[in-house]
Amino acid sequence: MSYPPQPPYGSPHDQPTQPGFVVPPPPPNHGPQQGYPQQGGYPSQGGHPQQGGYPQQGGYPSQGGYQTPPPGQPQQYAQPPAPQPQQAYAQEQFGGPIAPLPTAQGGTGPVVHDVHSLPVNDNVNPYAFSVELNGSYFLQKGKMVAYYGDITFKGVGAGMIDRMLGQHFNSPMHAADWVVAEGRGKLLLADRAFDLNSYDLEDGNLTVRSGNLLAFDPTLRLKQSIIPGFLTLIGTGRFVAASNGPVHFVEPPLRVDPQALVGWADCPAPCHHYDHDYMHGLIGGIRRLTGIGGASGEEHQFEFIGAGQVLLQSSEKLMAERSVGQVGAEAGVPMGGVPSQPGSAGHGGGNPNLPGLGNLGELGRRFGL
Amino acid sequence: MGFTKINGKMVEAQVVPGQRLFSQRGAMLAYSGDVRFTPNITGGQGGVMSMIGRRVANEDTPLMTVEGQGRVMFGHGGHHVHVIDLFGDTLYVEADRLLAFEGTLRQSTMFMGSQGGVMGMVRGQVTGQGLFTTKLEGNGSVAVMAHGGVFELPIVPGQSVHVDPQAYVAHRGDVRNKLSTAIGWRDMIGRGSGEAFQLELSGQGTVYVQASEEKL
Repeated sequence: MSYPPQPPYGSPHDQPTQPGFVVPPPPPNHGPQQGYPQQGGYPSQGGHPQQGGYPQQGGYPSQGGYQTPPPGQPQQYAQPPAPQPQQAYAQEQFGGPIAPLPTAQGGTGPVVHDVHSLPVNDNVNPYAFSVELNGSYFLQKGKMVAYYGDITFKGVGAGMIDRMLGQHFNSPMHAADWVVAEGRGKLLLADRAFDLNSYDLEDGNLTVRSGNLLAFDPTLRLKQSIIPGFLTLIGTGRFVAASNGPVHFVEPPLRVDPQALVGWADCPAPCHHYDHDYMHGLIGGIRRLTGIGGASGEEHQFEFIGAGQVLLQSSEKLMAERSVGQVGAEAGVPMGGVPSQPGSAGHGGGNPNLPGLGNLGELGRRFGL
Repeated sequence: MGFTKINGKMVEAQVVPGQRLFSQRGAMLAYSGDVRFTPNITGGQGGVMSMIGRRVANEDTPLMTVEGQGRVMFGHGGHHVHVIDLFGDTLYVEADRLLAFEGTLRQSTMFMGSQGGVMGMVRGQVTGQGLFTTKLEGNGSVAVMAHGGVFELPIVPGQSVHVDPQAYVAHRGDVRNKLSTAIGWRDMIGRGSGEAFQLELSGQGTVYVQASEEKL
C-alpha cells in the first residue's frame, strides 16, 4: 500500500484537481474499521449509484501507516505496529516539495531495511513492493527481487498447487506464467523500476492489462478477460500492478489513448472509438494509410461509459504484453483459436503516432506533414 | 485555465471553446467531453513562413491543435512534466521538450547566435539544442517534459548559475547564458572530470534543470 506519504514526484498529489478519484483525508488513527476509508466514499460525480468495491489505489490514503487487511479476509497478515522511524525516513527521502534551491542536506542516503522494518503489504518505495507472506501468493514469473524467511516458489501446475489452482485460477491457459510463493516471510516485488501500486478489491472486479499485473492474493480469482490481452480479477483481496508512471483514476465517460490504458473497474462497455472525420473519404484514407496529411496520432481511442473507474498510466509506453494464452476455438469467442500476440490487438506496436503504415508514416511525421 | 499536474508525469488541461491548446502529437492520454485533435501542419503558430523557419531551424516538433470543450490529460514517454506559468515574460525551451502549451502564447524560433554570437552557436551544439531554440512569450501555461524531475534555480543579478548543458531544460526571463569551458590537459588525454562544459546563466530569471543528464 502506501506510497511514501508524499508522492515522490515533487508536487503534492493535489486531489481537488482530479474529479474522478478523490483520496480521503488521511485517517487520524487506525482502528480496525479504517481499512477501507473509501467505501462508498467516491464522489457522486455522474450520479450513478456507488457500490463498494471500487478499487482504491493503494497507498495514497494511508498516510498514517498501513491499512488493515480487508474485513472479509482471514486475519492472515499479522499487523505489527508500523515502525515510525521508517515513516519519517521515507518522508525525508521522498517527501516535500522541491525547494527552489537544493540545499546541502538534501540526500539522506539509502534506507536500510531489515525484515522487521520492511513494510507489511506496502510499497517500500514507488518501485518496490513488500508482501508479508504467510501462506501463499501468486506472482508473475521473475518479479521477485528478494525475500526474507522461508519461502518456496513453485511453478503453477505442480502437485498440490493444482488444487489451489482450481479454486482461484480460472485461467488455466495463462497458468504457465505464474508461480506460487508459499511459506512465511517478506517478499519483495519489483518490475524494471516501473511504478508499483497495490489495489484493494472488495467484492469487486478489475480488468488489467496482462503485462501489468504482478501479483495477487489467492483470495482473488484470476480470469482471462473477453477482451484480448486483458485479465480480470474478481473477489476480495489485494493485488499488485505495475504501470509506467503513477496510475491515475478517472471516471467515465472518457476516451483513452490505447497505450495509456492500464485497466478498468466495473465499466460495462469498453469499446473502440475512431475520429470519423479523419478516417473517411479519399483524403482520410490516404491519411490513414500513410500518415501524410496529418495524423494527430489521436484518431483512435478506447471509450468508456457507464459507472466505474478507468486506470490510466502517465505515459504511452506500454509494458511488454504477456500472452494470456490461447482461447479454445469456439464459435462466439473473440480471438478463439488465435494466440494473442503482442501487437496483434492492433494497438501493441511501438509507434503511438500512427494508425497506419509504419515507416512511411514515421517519415511523414518526421517531416511534419 | 492552464495545466493542472495530476502526478509527476501527467497534466490535465481544461479546454473551453474559443481557446486553443497546442500539444505534441500523440501526447494525449485521455479526454472527456467533446474535444477535437487536429494535426497542425505548420507545426505551431504563425503562417507558412513560420513553418519554414521552424523546418529550417529543426524546431518543428509535430504539434496538434486541441479544441473543443472538456478536459484532456497529457503525458508522453514516461517523462516528467513540469508546468510553467508565464505572465508576460519569455520562456526559451527546446521544441521537443514541449508537451503542451496554451494558444495564448506566441511561439517563435530564436537563433542561438543572437544570444552570445559564435559562442551561442557553440553552446547550442554542446547542449544538443542545435542552433535554434523555441521562444514562447505572453500569458499562459506551458507543460515541458524532462527526464527526471525538474527543479528551478533562480538567477539573480550578481549571482550566476552554472548548469550542466545536458541537464538544462529551459530558462525564462532576462537571462544571458554563455558556455564556460574548463578544458585542461587532463581532458586532452581522456582523464577529464567529464564536466568540461558548463552553461553559465546570469541576469534575472529562472533556469529549469532536470535531474538527469539524459536527453529526451
